[in-house]
Amino acid sequence: MEAIVVNNLTKYFRKAYDKTLKGFFISLVKGEKRYKEFTALNGVSFQVNKGESYAIIGKNGAGKSTLFKVLSGIIQPDSGEVKIEGKVAPLIELGAGLSRDLTGAENIRLNCAIFGLDKKQIAEAYPKIVEFSELDEFINTPVKFYSSGMKARLGFSIAIHIDADIILIDEVLAVGDKDFKQKCYTKMEELRNSGKTLVIVSHSLKPLRRICDRALILEKGRVVDVGDINEMIDKYQDEKKKKKKKKGA
Amino acid sequence: MLAHLMKYKELMYFLVHKELKVRYRNSLFGFFWTLLEPLGLMVIYTLVFGYIIDLNKGIDPYPLYVLAGLIPWTFFNNSIRKGTKALSGNASLIKKVYFPREIFPLTMLISNLVNFIPAFTLVFIMAVAYGKTIQWDYLAMLPGVILLQALFTLALALLVSVLNVYYRDVEFIVNLVMRAWMYLCPIIYPISILYEEKSSELVQQFADLYFLNPMAVMISMYHGVFFADQGLPDKFGIPGFWLIYTVILTLILFLAAWYLFRRMNRRVGEVI
Repeated sequence: MEAIVVNNLTKYFRKAYDKTLKGFFISLVKGEKRYKEFTALNGVSFQVNKGESYAIIGKNGAGKSTLFKVLSGIIQPDSGEVKIEGKVAPLIELGAGLSRDLTGAENIRLNCAIFGLDKKQIAEAYPKIVEFSELDEFINTPVKFYSSGMKARLGFSIAIHIDADIILIDEVLAVGDKDFKQKCYTKMEELRNSGKTLVIVSHSLKPLRRICDRALILEKGRVVDVGDINEMIDKYQDEKKKKKKKKGA
Repeated sequence: MLAHLMKYKELMYFLVHKELKVRYRNSLFGFFWTLLEPLGLMVIYTLVFGYIIDLNKGIDPYPLYVLAGLIPWTFFNNSIRKGTKALSGNASLIKKVYFPREIFPLTMLISNLVNFIPAFTLVFIMAVAYGKTIQWDYLAMLPGVILLQALFTLALALLVSVLNVYYRDVEFIVNLVMRAWMYLCPIIYPISILYEEKSSELVQQFADLYFLNPMAVMISMYHGVFFADQGLPDKFGIPGFWLIYTVILTLILFLAAWYLFRRMNRRVGEVI
């Protein structure tokens, strides 16, 4: 059974030359193109099985974040299809914009509500989230006063407690202290064993070996290879070394 | 559409609650500002337009007339102005996680509606204090009028909120348009002023088209509750034809706004 099927996914970004109404009319009159196109994802296809842990690795600008956003539904692909079986919860960074002035407790409620939990479900999840995040004494403090580690802890706690089938994890794990990181990894393994699907986008490769089953290497918006996690990481690191040598020579 | 949004009942409740809390945070009078603000404006308009410029054409009492129009107008005005920023002001959330984005303009509307209803009871209190008789036929239509206005407001709010994501100019345009729009509504003057003999020919021609403005129709319906005995607003062609026109226009506008919102929503996640 597949949890995620991505078929020939392509995403262009439009880089507007001039983002004003005036600019719009001027270029409309002149008949010129109003934006430059940039291909962020180019014919990406892969499948993630149910209960699998899947890593997406690649350099900055490879299209990881774009892929992540397409999977969570924030942006829509230009062509190709994305089929997702079950509820998706992206692990989001807290503390920006609307949620900045809200307290930790309010943020928990807000984020649970965003993922469609009702009052009763929120009441059930709330104590678990607080407990896991270890933020008990700061839970009524506005999130803008949190350190980045505290925000990461809260964000991670929310994402894993809203009972989603698929959990998307961006590089947020880079923050947080060692103990909490360890706790997260343990929890992730636990989630995987309980049949949840994890998709992890990451720079730090070491922990991926422990958590993930398979991986996909992304380069300049294309899939380079898909396969077993250890093979993929070795391959990715080899290529990196080769390129460095070339540069050196 | 509704079933889909019902799933997010809890989220809407949260956002409305937060919006109301934030609005009156750190203010001494809190919720009373909802009542004090239109009352203050009423006093100003009565002094300036009722006494100094003398737009009070035999309307008695003029302050009640101003207030009865001003409070529905404030509801509309606030919803649209805040609605413009409903999406662009929540960019950080929209960029991070997906949920139906029409929730933002919708909760903005609901929180303004929550402010509007108690504020409008103020008009009734004032009417009783002035010893006005309330016109029951208009009162019976009032819930329908409020619903119609809410739908019309939501349609426009959806439109401007999504347009403002693409072009921030919309914010400035909306501010200006709303100012002009207020003067196109019978708030500080009665409609009869347009038909006066000393009015220029242009104004009289314009008077026949006056009710093309759906807000003028709706505000007149509010006036009807208190002023129908003074021949307002029936004398000048309301309700009947213009009322049906407003209903149809609102429905068409709403469907168009909904369609456009859906369409433009697709790229919101990347341009915001």
